[in-house]
Amino acid sequence: MIFDFRVFLGHSFDGVQQTATGLLKTMDSLNIDMALACPFKPLSYNLDLANSDLSTAIKPHSDRLLGAARVDPWQPDAVDTLRRGLETHGLRALYLNPWEENFRADSSQLDPLLAIAEAHRVPVLIASGYPWVSEALQVRALVQRWPRVPVIMTNGGQFNISGLGQADARLALDQTPNLYIDTAGVYRQDFIEETVEMFGAERVLFGSGAPYFDQRYEIKRVLLAQVDEAARAAMGAGNAHHLLGVTD
Amino acid sequence: MIIDSHTHVDEVEAWGWFDPPEVLLPLLDEAGINQAVIMPYRDAIGPDDPATAYLLDAIARYPDRLIGYVRLNAEAPGALAALDKALGQDGLKGLKLHTVSYVGFPYGENTVRLMRRAAQYHAPVLFHSGDEPLALPQELAEAARLCPETTVIFAHMGGYYHCQAAIKAAQELSNVLLDTSAMPYPEMIRQAVETIGPERVLFGSDGPGCVPALEIEKVRLAGLTPDDEALVLGCNIKRILDEVRHDL
Repeated sequence: MIFDFRVFLGHSFDGVQQTATGLLKTMDSLNIDMALACPFKPLSYNLDLANSDLSTAIKPHSDRLLGAARVDPWQPDAVDTLRRGLETHGLRALYLNPWEENFRADSSQLDPLLAIAEAHRVPVLIASGYPWVSEALQVRALVQRWPRVPVIMTNGGQFNISGLGQADARLALDQTPNLYIDTAGVYRQDFIEETVEMFGAERVLFGSGAPYFDQRYEIKRVLLAQVDEAARAAMGAGNAHHLLGVTD
Repeated sequence: MIIDSHTHVDEVEAWGWFDPPEVLLPLLDEAGINQAVIMPYRDAIGPDDPATAYLLDAIARYPDRLIGYVRLNAEAPGALAALDKALGQDGLKGLKLHTVSYVGFPYGENTVRLMRRAAQYHAPVLFHSGDEPLALPQELAEAARLCPETTVIFAHMGGYYHCQAAIKAAQELSNVLLDTSAMPYPEMIRQAVETIGPERVLFGSDGPGCVPALEIEKVRLAGLTPDDEALVLGCNIKRILDEVRHDL
């Protein structure tokens, strides 16, 4: 059983796109059973509509695709957008992108959204490692305010090909037990292994970030990691099931 | 014949990176890699620096498998003498420069001086490249433009968000080559081969932290022709290293 905890569906303002049919075809070829889909930011910048479109796209494939509601905290109706995503559209997580929506990960504007996530017991994914807005210690500040909300830092909490973001990511993981990472594009694959060793496999989730990252390649970070099979199973699907309340 | 053009051996307590050659070699074996170019994590500051001594000891113990690049702090007063000793007396085959690590402008006088001296030995200069200032492909291109006689390799092909800038620089400057290490996009390898030709793209893993078997998979997922893949995986770096001379 393999669960990809972060893929994107729809059409992005930057021209990138992915359909549910195309995604499922690739998942089949890689033996990936399920995925959590996030909406792209569409050219209209209307995330409420993007959440609705996502819900429609995944509905025929509800046994394999779950969805996350994407919310821009600058929008006056951000709280309503999240409520609609979770309560009307049946989405199962909150996705925040500080880079594309242009806010800091430690902003207090996020607190009303985290309060809803806590009340609905849904996890929060936050696009991490982006300079100035979502470095690991900025994410930590948010997570410390919401100790009962599981928060997943994407990309291991770092986009630094010198490895200079690793120490901050570890510090954040060490100080906030409700903080997790996904594996997309992580610099030095041994960071994944070391995170498992230091904090436990339950803190790491396979997330490909496809189509921005290549799902064919990203799955191998988990399949080839030097960890025991129990840890691989946890990263590959078990943790995702736990956080999203999916039963085998 | 597969040659990994970018790996590390070194032990740096401050960063928690302990990678003697005995860590790297089994990973090379697992990936079917015949030889690897190794370099330290530390920047040497003179001819008798412990980082270079560590490198030379590793090569002396595994001369059939390991080939060395000296890694220098170009701003150190002893850098030029260290380069002459490394290439002229120690039999090393190239120069590694990490401008972020030693905080120097790639197109600064001291870095350019080393690049020009390396060219006299026909030795390649491998620059760390990435998304951070001092290592941006646009900055490295300025250095390469000042030294048209120097073979300049951009490691990591520009990192996460600067791959296309790296390819553009190589398109404009015939002395620039790209290595595939650590950056996460098979598609960018294909684009690089199509844009600048298969002779100027080098397989590198950045192992052992980045797993060589996984890094080879990335090249294979690029979908190159068998002839082009052979060039990328070993023939190109062999051609470059065969031209290195050890006297002036």
